[in-house]
Amino acid sequence: MTTPSTFKPVSSPRPGETAWLWLVKIVTGPLLFLIFILHLVVNHYLGSTASGLMTYDDVVAYFQNPLIPAIEIIFVTAVVTHSLVGLRGIVLDMNPSRPALNAVTVLLVALGAAAIGYGIWLALVIAAKGL
Amino acid sequence: MSEKWTITLRTYRQKEGEAPRYDDFTLDVDPDEYVLDAVERVWAFHDRSLCFRHACHHSTCGACGMRVNGVEKLTCITILRDVTQNGATLKVEPLRNFPVVSDLAVDMGDFYKKNEMVDARAVLPVIEAEIEHPSSAWNPNDAQYIRLSDCLECGMCISACPVAATTSEYLGPAPLAAAQDRGIRRNPELLNIVDSEDGLWRCHSAFECTAVCPSFVDPGRRIMDLRKQVIGAKLGQLFGK
Amino acid sequence: MNNQPSAKKFLGWFNPLGRNPGSWAFIISRITALGLTLYLFLHLIVLGRLAQGPEAYQEFLALTENPVVKIGELAVIGAVIYHGLNGIRIVLTSFGIGVTRQAQLFYASIVLAIVGTLVFTIRMFAG
Repeated sequence: MTTPSTFKPVSSPRPGETAWLWLVKIVTGPLLFLIFILHLVVNHYLGSTASGLMTYDDVVAYFQNPLIPAIEIIFVTAVVTHSLVGLRGIVLDMNPSRPALNAVTVLLVALGAAAIGYGIWLALVIAAKGL
Repeated sequence: MSEKWTITLRTYRQKEGEAPRYDDFTLDVDPDEYVLDAVERVWAFHDRSLCFRHACHHSTCGACGMRVNGVEKLTCITILRDVTQNGATLKVEPLRNFPVVSDLAVDMGDFYKKNEMVDARAVLPVIEAEIEHPSSAWNPNDAQYIRLSDCLECGMCISACPVAATTSEYLGPAPLAAAQDRGIRRNPELLNIVDSEDGLWRCHSAFECTAVCPSFVDPGRRIMDLRKQVIGAKLGQLFGK
Repeated sequence: MNNQPSAKKFLGWFNPLGRNPGSWAFIISRITALGLTLYLFLHLIVLGRLAQGPEAYQEFLALTENPVVKIGELAVIGAVIYHGLNGIRIVLTSFGIGVTRQAQLFYASIVLAIVGTLVFTIRMFAG
């Protein structure tokens, strides 16, 4: 009996995916879930349209309270981070090569930064519309 | 007076360099016998080329793990009556996610190496074992008493794990459970092994391992506990402990 | 060689045969994760209309009256509730809470997601 030729000796597990990324996921997750529940209630019950949705004026008025853009910024940061860290986890489960993984990481970080930057900008713009 | 059933044992066959196939064998069995007995009967009286692993026949050695009707079972303790009925076909296949050496025997070398990597304990002091009803207060003298680790190294957890299906690099339930048993606090060198790309964080809490473990390891629970241990260790490092 | 792990076998995650509840929890979480990620980015883009002024936003609001859009929204709500609750199941079990009840926690997540979706169905179609 010969050892199958495709047998690979076990090497040390590759470092690089550590506890911190997982912690980011489990901290942002429950946080954004709580904010999401508020978000659902606000957007389906507090608006002035028949179905409870907010009109443009409703939104601008709502954003005048400084707490609101603050929470929205936390929300967009948490949800984009959670989503992209999670997406990267799914890519990892497909055993990409190291260069492929690095390319995906760079892409996701860029996308995340752009999305969060855009979200912050949007929140401030809307708040400013009421001034 | 024992009952007699007639069943068809449909067994996976594959020799080196050949394509896999299934062979059917008609057998007379006592339904209170074990699946392993049926497999052995095929070997003894029907086909001496059938290759399978077995040793103790009492769920201690972990050699006879196979998939019975698609589900991982330790065949020496799997009663025929529980998995089939008179006149039915009983399908027997090797464990998943290990290279097939011959028929129902798979290459466990990789798996044993992973257990070595975490220095899995074969015996441990009884006061450290996570047993179901431990003595309410161990006497320090009781540490002299040792017991065999619950893990049989049967590999069924690896076979059932959805993550292990996609990569041979993943440490896997049993090695991670062994690392939990050794403890990160007592053995800090384990931290970098389990806190890694192919380590702990590949587990997605499917708990298939716990569902198939024939012993009392409960690898799913242990991996969860290992997460707690690792987070504790990392936070401890951060705050300079 | 046969029987060995391979990255392609992730497709096997979607094979429902012989699965325990924990596997279902994982698979459904992954599917909702992908759906929600897609929705998130679309949502962020669409909200940009708020910056363009009341008319642009009004156009978008008119869209939300469309029943197909409403059903899509309900799918999102169901997905978030399920994904969030399963996430909490993961957090709890990772710290030793409820490990023996992990299957029940999964079932509870499904039930609550359905209940939440029904509440908003009523709100959106009959409110």
